Amino acid sequence: MSDEQQLKLQAFLDGELPEGDAREVAAWLARDADAAGLLGELKNTRNALKNFEPALKLPESREFYWSKIKREIERTAPVATPARSVSLFTLLRRILVPVGAVAALAIAGFITVHSFSGGQHPIAVNSLLADAGAFTYRDQAQGMTVVWLSYPAENKFAEKSSADTLPAK
Amino acid sequence: MRPGLIRACWLFLAAALLFPVGSARAEAGDVTLEAQLIWGTNDTKPDPRLKPADPKLAAKLKHSPFKWDHYFEMHHETLKLKLNEEKTVTMSRNCVISVTNLKGEQVKFQLFGKGKLANTVTQALPKGQLLVTGGDAENSTAWFVVLQQAD
Repeated sequence: MSDEQQLKLQAFLDGELPEGDAREVAAWLARDADAAGLLGELKNTRNALKNFEPALKLPESREFYWSKIKREIERTAPVATPARSVSLFTLLRRILVPVGAVAALAIAGFITVHSFSGGQHPIAVNSLLADAGAFTYRDQAQGMTVVWLSYPAENKFAEKSSADTLPAK
Repeated sequence: MRPGLIRACWLFLAAALLFPVGSARAEAGDVTLEAQLIWGTNDTKPDPRLKPADPKLAAKLKHSPFKWDHYFEMHHETLKLKLNEEKTVTMSRNCVISVTNLKGEQVKFQLFGKGKLANTVTQALPKGQLLVTGGDAENSTAWFVVLQQAD
């Protein structure tokens, strides 16, 4: 027997079926012994429960009893607290604290990157030398670009005894 | 809100607004450069009339691969250049330099020996950086033209 048939029997027993369905179930019970047996069981169970069901008598009227329950529910329900007005100082503090933290992180990152790179960015040097024996090199540690020429010594460019390279007395 | 805090906020705001203006003015371009003609030697008793080079500069030159122990300033020029301005100065009888102030702390440096262009260097020259052009001189000495931003 399917669940639906069992439920139909229960509804028949409880008198919940429409008249047409009830007639069909009665006819079905007349020809099906299993269905009649199950109906008997259901009747017995209902009778048993009915006998043991305690009769609860309310000390007051039904409406008053439920109104008490309702009041108790409303009393214990959490009350939504109204939003407190926040001062400008608090708002500023709320904004400045995360902004300050981000700024501190940015500064720390900048210092770290700067210290790892020696505080100096690579400097591009564009050098054009007319002297074939000359060369250019970059000393990053000293922050110095050096262009070394070969010819001036040949024409006494910076002769130490030359009057134009000595300060006047 | 406390009055002190309000004043501090206004000061902070004013500083934040004024800072970019100051930066923009610094970027606008004037630069003051120092050009020095330096002589390097290992002579233990050089001419007492010679003026020793600035100790910081001498220290930098000593820590470089140069082999000289003593550095003397033979000539000094201060160049105040506006953006894209070029100035030519005579450092010695045979040495003339030409410096151009380019955008973004870039400088173009040209050195002429006996009227002939010897080299042209273009590079950024922020404070603390040196552009040194040099060569051998008589008696195992050397000459240098040092260009740097003034302090």
